[in-house]
Amino acid sequence: MPILNRLLLFGLGIVAMRGAEFDRDVRPLLMAKCMRCHGGDRTAAGFDMTTAQSFAKSGVVVKGDPAASKLFQFVSSGKMPMGGPRLSEEEVGLLGDWIRGGAAWGADLAAAKKKTWWAFVPPSKPKVPKIDGVLNPIDAFLLAKLQTKGLAFSPRANDRDLTRRLHFGLTGLPPSDADYTRSYAENVEKLLASPAYGERWARYWLDVVRFGETDGGEHNFERFHAWRYRDYVIDAFNSDKPYTQFVREQITGDLLAPKDPQMVAATGFLVAGPWDSVSAELNKDALMKKTARMDELDDMVTTTFHSFQALTVNCARCHDHKFDPIPTRDYYSLTAVFGGVGFGTREVATDAAKAAYESAAKPLQAEIARVQKELDAIELPVRTRLMRERYQALDEKRRDEKYRVPLSPFFNRNTFAPVTAKHFRLVISGQSGKLPKIDELELRPAGLRVASFIGAANATAAAPVIVSIPSSAPATVSEMVWSTDRVTGKGDGTIRVYSLEASDDGANWRAIAGSLDHVSANELELPSVSDKDLIAALPAAGRQRRVDLLAERDEWKKKLEAVPPLAMVYAAKPHPVEPAYLLERGSVAKAKEEVFPGALSALAHRSASFGFDASAPDDKRRNALADWIADSKNPLTARVIVNRVWYYHFGNGIVNTPSDFGQMGDRPSHPELLDWLAVSFMENGWSLKWLQRQIVSSQAYQQSSALNEKAFGLDADNRLLWRMPLHRMDAETLRDSILAATGSLNSERGGPGFLLQKKGGGGSYIYDVLDNDGPPVWRRAVYRFVVRGGGRIFMDSFDCPDPSVATPQRSNSNTPVQALTLLNNTFVLKQSERMAERLTNEAGAGAAAQVARAYSLLFGRAPSEKELRAGVSFIASHSLAAYARVLFNTNEFLYTP
Amino acid sequence: MLWEVGGGLAGVALAQLEAQAAPRKPGPHFAPKAKNVILIFLPGGISHIDTFDYKPELVKNHGKQTKGENTITPFFGKPGAVMKSPWEFKQYGQSGKWVSDLLPHLAQRADDMTFFHSMVSRSNAHGPAIFQMSTGFIFQGFPSVGSWVSYGLGSENQNLPSFVVLPDPRGLPPCGVANWGNGFLPAQHQGVMFGDQKNPIADLRAPVAANVQAASYDLLSQLNEEHLGAHAGDDALAGRIRAYEMAARMQVSAPEVTDISGENEATRELYGLNDPTTRAYGYNCLLARRLVERGVRCVQLFNGGHFGAPRINWDGHEDLRANHSRCAAVMDKPTAALLKDLKQRGMLNDTVVVWTTEFGRLPISEGIGEGGRDHNPEGFTAFMAGAGLKPGYSYGRTDELGYKAAENPVTLYDFHATLLHLLGLDHTSLTWYHNGLQRRLTDVHGHVIKDVLA
Repeated sequence: MPILNRLLLFGLGIVAMRGAEFDRDVRPLLMAKCMRCHGGDRTAAGFDMTTAQSFAKSGVVVKGDPAASKLFQFVSSGKMPMGGPRLSEEEVGLLGDWIRGGAAWGADLAAAKKKTWWAFVPPSKPKVPKIDGVLNPIDAFLLAKLQTKGLAFSPRANDRDLTRRLHFGLTGLPPSDADYTRSYAENVEKLLASPAYGERWARYWLDVVRFGETDGGEHNFERFHAWRYRDYVIDAFNSDKPYTQFVREQITGDLLAPKDPQMVAATGFLVAGPWDSVSAELNKDALMKKTARMDELDDMVTTTFHSFQALTVNCARCHDHKFDPIPTRDYYSLTAVFGGVGFGTREVATDAAKAAYESAAKPLQAEIARVQKELDAIELPVRTRLMRERYQALDEKRRDEKYRVPLSPFFNRNTFAPVTAKHFRLVISGQSGKLPKIDELELRPAGLRVASFIGAANATAAAPVIVSIPSSAPATVSEMVWSTDRVTGKGDGTIRVYSLEASDDGANWRAIAGSLDHVSANELELPSVSDKDLIAALPAAGRQRRVDLLAERDEWKKKLEAVPPLAMVYAAKPHPVEPAYLLERGSVAKAKEEVFPGALSALAHRSASFGFDASAPDDKRRNALADWIADSKNPLTARVIVNRVWYYHFGNGIVNTPSDFGQMGDRPSHPELLDWLAVSFMENGWSLKWLQRQIVSSQAYQQSSALNEKAFGLDADNRLLWRMPLHRMDAETLRDSILAATGSLNSERGGPGFLLQKKGGGGSYIYDVLDNDGPPVWRRAVYRFVVRGGGRIFMDSFDCPDPSVATPQRSNSNTPVQALTLLNNTFVLKQSERMAERLTNEAGAGAAAQVARAYSLLFGRAPSEKELRAGVSFIASHSLAAYARVLFNTNEFLYTP
Repeated sequence: MLWEVGGGLAGVALAQLEAQAAPRKPGPHFAPKAKNVILIFLPGGISHIDTFDYKPELVKNHGKQTKGENTITPFFGKPGAVMKSPWEFKQYGQSGKWVSDLLPHLAQRADDMTFFHSMVSRSNAHGPAIFQMSTGFIFQGFPSVGSWVSYGLGSENQNLPSFVVLPDPRGLPPCGVANWGNGFLPAQHQGVMFGDQKNPIADLRAPVAANVQAASYDLLSQLNEEHLGAHAGDDALAGRIRAYEMAARMQVSAPEVTDISGENEATRELYGLNDPTTRAYGYNCLLARRLVERGVRCVQLFNGGHFGAPRINWDGHEDLRANHSRCAAVMDKPTAALLKDLKQRGMLNDTVVVWTTEFGRLPISEGIGEGGRDHNPEGFTAFMAGAGLKPGYSYGRTDELGYKAAENPVTLYDFHATLLHLLGLDHTSLTWYHNGLQRRLTDVHGHVIKDVLA
């Protein structure tokens, strides 16, 4: 209802004309303006407006009398909403209307919305508006709306702009010379058939599903085999896999084809997000561990529903969803669906492939082990001796300090004030590693010795290993030294907790020294033995034999490497299914009734309950959810994906919150168009390439991006699509486009990603920018190894997101740091040099020809007279590379028309 | 905010449904006490009971096991016996604050500090706990405190970033650059890391001669103006031209701020620049002051790096004395110097300094007969100092052993809400729409702690 009318009605006192306005007018207002603080888990001032009952209880409304109602007083005085902008006059009027008319409450918010919320009503194919000369239904729907505002599409863009737009839009790469000469329709088909199409569109999907190749968090370990999911997505787009199949495989691929690496990799979707390995694996606190598991399940549930259903079910983890009809029970039923899924890497192969691998590899592994054994016999005694000497030297260096060097198997010393006693003993109550032992121990200066082997593998505080140190008469000691003869490898352990005790009667013992006198191994730089030192210390015969053995070992290793390895896949990994409970306020300490696998009760196309009990195996659970989502009657699945595709092309979605079709999200600007697209998409076999063709062949897509003042005045956000918006290249497209322009782009597809960051740190990894160059890193950015946590200067400043959270929409910021990056980053500088080489190769030494070639490569056009002059003069005074650098920074390069 | 020069986030119009009708204009919600903030973060977990939270009961109960309700499950599952602090405590200043011998310099500043002795974190693991301190959430990927401040208040200086980060010179903190990420906020709110003195900001330095750089800016501007002519009125394109003008100015102002040759000898001595142990971190402390002087909204300093051996942070698992002694030798003097210097320049009147860690350490030893302490998220200490706060004041307390917050527990939501409040920002109104929610630094929690406000 137009504002003016409403104000008139209110002003004339003609109220309650439309008694049932609550659902349509009041409810949305309360939800948007009040419920953040007064509903669900927060009921500020004890006021909860979730249900009619709780609302009535609050007493903020006197029926029929706005002036006496606190609600009306507060909103009209601006006291509420607290901390937010005042309600508009119209909104205040609405509430007044409603109270005056009796403040009738509709059905409870959640229950009512179930049937009426636009996104939950299944789409039906609307009639296409008839407009003369308009063939594409997309254009008809858009124009019908534009015409109501007296607007129309902008004129068709020129051929050059269209060619660029189409190439960047479908493949994220600039057109070649030949592409500019081809017809638009030919280009569409060529691009949709090119592998670059999948590379471009997979990147968008990877944003949505928060795909990363490290765990994130404190350890941030690498996932060396996660790239298979990225390749799966690229292939899915390129082969135009029906979308329902794409959905299904990402939820259940490992169940559909457990021996097929690609299908298993599809479930990389479920575990693409961050994973806190520390809380899952190291933490000894039981509640924290359980919480960590719930966080894993939450991540799977959240991503599945964000990505496929554009619903924020995660809001229902602690309380019923405040805005959408999603009760907590539904949320926990969904966690039960994924109860059998864990995070991890596994080998995926048929039994035959496995047997073949083993029969080829086993003999080689045996040879390697044999050679290694002989090598150890030569190296380890010497290595141990050197280590002992080095620990001893370090110990000497720190001799005057109270705290001795760290405990080690190699050498340990305790010094203390002289003690005279009859009996001495060593009490060992803690160790680490596999074979903690002492071979020699001596108490000095008395020379009391234990020469026999002391094993301490099972020593604990409760059951210590006690070693008597024999002495025939009272002795005076002030130092204890002990070590191991020989260390055999990494498995060797260290005695970590011990005390040296003395007694005069053999019954009452007192501690005189112990492990506390040492510093922690983590606090000092420790001795090590380099290969060079080792070789120098070996006897001549051993030295030669070692060289031969190393060569032999390398040969076997090479042979082993030549055996094609079995596929390793980072994806959903079987996890024991545990009973699921509704957790009060999301707390694992407050488990309420048991819940069973199911989906959302708000959607009517299928039963929310899957009819399983706690014994249902993993495959049944996940298959049932896949059926529930990939159902043509599901009102969301098709709408959500067509809207995503639309959003990436037009910069605005029909719904501008692509991962939220709930109350807090946007309303569709063109609901009929959205439904027409969704239904037609399904009718066309859920084919995304069909959708792409439909969009790029529209007049709307092909219109000019020039600004039209009248239209801008009426619709500044371009929701009605009166022009094509300019697109600033995203981080990947920018990088790829520079590489393409200079002729450097390496079109190698698939496989492990290239590195833009190097791993550092110790127990946990830190990733720094790697300043590397050359063809391996000149691949498309979709093939980079995606480290979680940022730190890729070039990409980050252009809004390339950290995949720690889902990014259905990227920011599009514009900052001085971005400018500095594009001017000064070594990547740009090196590519400027390569651009200069290319220009010289292709255009010769003349500056005018170089400028012309640069313009055709970067902008697809010839330079104007003025631009030509400016270019020639710049090159003459500076350099061709410096000129290329400037062109990479221009708006014309960075913005797709 | 001055840093966002057009373009903006596509699709923020959706926020029409909520309180926030359009991207908010930077600026406080109400009159602020502080204009700027310096965050000092000590990764690894500095022990509260060995620094500012004096617990005589630890001495009395040294060597005894905790029992019953007080049974402690440490992160690594190795409960030990109650362990007294290896350091003596003394009282300092007008406030008579008890501080241990570990921090002799900071002890002298006790009257300037406002202590929160009942801090509680949600996780006993470094990663989540660090994320919670840095971003309000235990999960990775949310905007950092500094990003929210930058988004909330914008920058006072067009020629420098609004949020600058100075990592420990020994290495990046655990979880790396995610500590100052912008999350879903636009990239201009990302913390900008200052590296070495010569090239403080990545890609700041022109790789070409000055005359080439100048000519490049000229040509670029000429080409962009020409292009703009054909796309008249497009704000994104015009904004980009302004971004390059700012970049050129930043190339001048960033090296100026990092050049400390104008600082006098007394200042150098104060910050420990003459001592190899304190020199690098001391330089960062001094730089923090210089950045705030020039209008940088938020500076985040780290004292402590990532995990690994030899250890370069406060995670004293096996040997608290050795670990904390070494770390404190670096942290104590320069941090105290920063407080003193800010105060003598009158800058504490409109700057707030925040000193935090991800959690404290347990009153028991880690394993029987061992000398370390494990993680303690149930109660620990942080302090703030400066504008709008009661100086020499202690809020909240832990139980007699320093295990759990026993009075006025302070969640990180409360802590962050209070910090934003000092900056004139209402933590419930500083929001950004992301994936179906109006996100806040404080999630759906948090209360401003009024007791600590002056």
